[in-house]
Amino acid sequence: MKKRILSFSFIVVALLLLGGCAKKNNENQIVIWHNMRPEETKILDRQINEFMKIHPDTKVIQLFKETEEMRSGYIVAAIGGQGPDMVYGPSDQVGPFAEMNIIKPLNEVFPKEYLANFNDKALIYSNNKLWMLADKLGNHLALVYNKKLVPAPPRTDKELIEIGKKLTIDKNGDGKIDQYGLVWNYTEPYFFVPFLTGFGGWVLDSLNRPTLNTPQMIKGLNFIKQLRDEYKIIPNEADYNVADALFKEERAAMIINGDWSWAGYVKAGLDIGIAPLPLITETGKYAAPMVSPKGYCVNINLNKAKTEKVKQLLEYLLSPEKELEATKEAKTFPTRKELYEDKLFKDDPILFNSKKQIDLGIPLPIITEMRAIWDAMRPSYQAVLGGSMTPEKAAVEMQKNAQIKIKELKEDYTNPVFGLIFKLILFAIVIAILFFLRKSFVAFFRNIKKDGFAYILALPALVVMVAVIFYPFVYNIILSFSNMSLAHINDWSLVGFIQYVKVFSEPQFYEVLLKTIIWTFTNIFFHVVIGVSLALMLNRDMPGKGIFRTLLILPWAVPQYIVALTWRGMFNYEYGSINLILAKFLAMSPIEWLKSPVEAFTAVIITNVWLGFPFMMIIALGALQSIPQELYEAADIDGAKWYQKLKSITIPLIKPVMIPAITLGMIWTFNNLNVIWLVSNAGEPSDKTHILVSYVYKAAFNLYRYGYAAAFSFVIFLILLAFGLSFLRKTKATESVY
Amino acid sequence: MKNKKLVNILIYIVLTIFTLIVLYPIINVFTISIRPNDRLFSTDLSIIPANATFKQYIELFKNRPFLLWAWNSAIISGIVTFTGVALASTAGYAISRFNFVGKQSSMLGLLTTQMFPATMLLLPMYIMLIKLQLLNSYLGIIIVYSATALPFCVWQMKGFYDTIPFSLEESARIDGCNQWQAFYKIIFPLAAPALVITALFSFMTAWSEYIVAAQVLQDTSLYTLPLGLKSFESNMSTEWGLYAAASLIVSIPVVVLFIVLSKWLVSGLTLGSVKG
Repeated sequence: MKKRILSFSFIVVALLLLGGCAKKNNENQIVIWHNMRPEETKILDRQINEFMKIHPDTKVIQLFKETEEMRSGYIVAAIGGQGPDMVYGPSDQVGPFAEMNIIKPLNEVFPKEYLANFNDKALIYSNNKLWMLADKLGNHLALVYNKKLVPAPPRTDKELIEIGKKLTIDKNGDGKIDQYGLVWNYTEPYFFVPFLTGFGGWVLDSLNRPTLNTPQMIKGLNFIKQLRDEYKIIPNEADYNVADALFKEERAAMIINGDWSWAGYVKAGLDIGIAPLPLITETGKYAAPMVSPKGYCVNINLNKAKTEKVKQLLEYLLSPEKELEATKEAKTFPTRKELYEDKLFKDDPILFNSKKQIDLGIPLPIITEMRAIWDAMRPSYQAVLGGSMTPEKAAVEMQKNAQIKIKELKEDYTNPVFGLIFKLILFAIVIAILFFLRKSFVAFFRNIKKDGFAYILALPALVVMVAVIFYPFVYNIILSFSNMSLAHINDWSLVGFIQYVKVFSEPQFYEVLLKTIIWTFTNIFFHVVIGVSLALMLNRDMPGKGIFRTLLILPWAVPQYIVALTWRGMFNYEYGSINLILAKFLAMSPIEWLKSPVEAFTAVIITNVWLGFPFMMIIALGALQSIPQELYEAADIDGAKWYQKLKSITIPLIKPVMIPAITLGMIWTFNNLNVIWLVSNAGEPSDKTHILVSYVYKAAFNLYRYGYAAAFSFVIFLILLAFGLSFLRKTKATESVY
Repeated sequence: MKNKKLVNILIYIVLTIFTLIVLYPIINVFTISIRPNDRLFSTDLSIIPANATFKQYIELFKNRPFLLWAWNSAIISGIVTFTGVALASTAGYAISRFNFVGKQSSMLGLLTTQMFPATMLLLPMYIMLIKLQLLNSYLGIIIVYSATALPFCVWQMKGFYDTIPFSLEESARIDGCNQWQAFYKIIFPLAAPALVITALFSFMTAWSEYIVAAQVLQDTSLYTLPLGLKSFESNMSTEWGLYAAASLIVSIPVVVLFIVLSKWLVSGLTLGSVKG
């Protein structure tokens, strides 16, 4: 054992040294975070390597990050005085970054003459400062059609419906549609916007106030409903991946999708055409998508020398030749004016029509309020699609929610007195704790010799835990009394209990709490019952049990992300295997799993039961090993039935092992963010499938309300603590077996 | 006897049904991995899709640093497993056997740490790692993973030690063992099933963790498997084929580990033989 301790301490020391040698942000290294798609990343990577050949003293690192993660990660890092040197993303990232003052104004870096080379849309200004320099325009939706099925694309909504009807076909006459005229991810507001603009509406007025409760909005909502329910040219249920699959399998003639997807369709061997979204005849306006440039923002924390280096790199990446490479290979739309004269834009039909659509499009507003508007539109829009709300009511709700959310986003509390009071309270609490623990301290020193061995054994584990958990915990409590939000990201101060008041006055709080409790208990019940039953079966002496045992742990072994999404696919209304099985073997009518709140919640629970039972099974298998075989033999001699043995031998004896596992299982389930997020697509439909932790993630982090999020999280923690302690107290009484 | 046979058949049927339920979604993942053109979903329910191809698997090993990620993950998970088992087996023993001051509060403290919602730790943990200069180092991530895995491991070990009768150590002490020997020679081997679970759990914590890794590791050459997998994904256009193929390969070590360890999970060292 001594050897082992030695080797262990050796590893720790080695690691400490490794940590010490970890690369620090040095002067010659430029880090870029981006959210490019794979083809674009490949091009970027190549261009960076070329750049490094010309400038061997500079090292450039590009790092892909998922958009949301990039944004929140960058904010935190930049506030901490660090972070990547550049962030590449869609123009709406400028809103929060500029407001938080964590990016550099680029008009101080680049001369006017240089900037004049770019399309105006590529220069993202606000308050007369240039915040982003874009290398690509677009991110715009357009109509993509399969040329094999659609010889000429529709130019108006009438033609769209006409062609759509003709191409929506039940080929084998089984009452099920085999080919749809049109598909797209119409459940997402971003993909709905073209129809709002087509009817003459828009999301904001010139003073950046939401304009969602308008007749145009109602018309737009009705139009989508008509496409689905009256003309029946789009599927009953389609998210992004379903729409994409249908189009790729030629089971849909047309799709509305963004420029990011087109190269993939060509690669899949489809003969596609791009056309601008149709004209709405009633208004004479084109259905106009949002257009957003994508480009580079520069970290505020850079010093002068580093800024020079970054400038050099940007000039290289944004040179006409490099932009043209991206245009040719990834069909993206460049920002250098001189490139528009290139014959590529006349010869390549995809680029030609892409340009046409961009010209018709409306720039995506970069203000932070957009975030609140999306979050406000989504639930009511999905309720309209689910049939639980009329378009008129939805318009009213959207507007109301947008106003509330904008207010939340802009929340700004100050309370100069509280800081001092808080410190006093904190001090008093520490003293009080020490006072109450005084007897324990005395006992500790008195018994230290007697219990020395126990302390040696327990200490290492406790030290590691305290080190990692303690700081974040205290930090979070302090944040929960602060006003940290968009308005005060760098200069937050303590303001008192206001965030807690907000948590408890949140109308949805109690509803979500109830759902969380249902979620936790249902899950744990099935996890334990299934897990223990399987373990009991597997614990018998019989051939082949090893194979079953191995196969049954698979849900635990396979990464959650992909299986959760697979389950989402299996719950699809029309094509999912669950509905097909229900129809085939149980003659049931299909269930709208993902569209109605109760069913969607059930779907998430089913997925999580599947994911979670192997864990309990493994624990139970281990626990069953501790039961002496003689006890069963004795019971057999006494003529005990199997259920008697189960009740008086097995259950009491596996209890000491199962109780901690169940307690922890409950805690983990209570706080399980992933599964909800993936299966219900972040709370869909209409934010009705949230549990507390996913709710706070969406409602608070999305709107940069860090103080509120901290308070909410702390409340979750307290609820869980009360819950856990009472559970422990209940079970402890029956714990002593021996 | 006939009765027993019937029970066995019934059990086989139940086990088969469960195995099918378990396998179906995983087979789906396999189907995605051999489906051409990066489609997550399909309207076609056949297991082997038309134009099935294994090119994703080849791509994964040939053109992507998959092996590097696997190696990184293996090192991190290995160290975390070792730390987890070493610290949890001792701490669990102390808590199970001794009545020391602070025992109750350490137990509670361990449990409490598990109650922090992710939303509570995300921001402060990141700031802490920045301040401690632990970004981009394995040390940071190993400490965080060990701390995450430990509470469960300690509790699990404690629960298992509780089922081992006190009389065993007492007789060992009478036979002349000291405290340490009584633990190390007598009790520790008996706890094999719990150690296996602890090891598996620590390994899994490190093997599949994504959120902390994404915050700490910024250099692609340090990437672990979950980070690598995530890099196949981008907004709206994910390389689903690669993602699915990689997911399946990632789960192989866990399954192998389980098979190897299950020998000890059902070790002959059951209590009965010792207890007498």
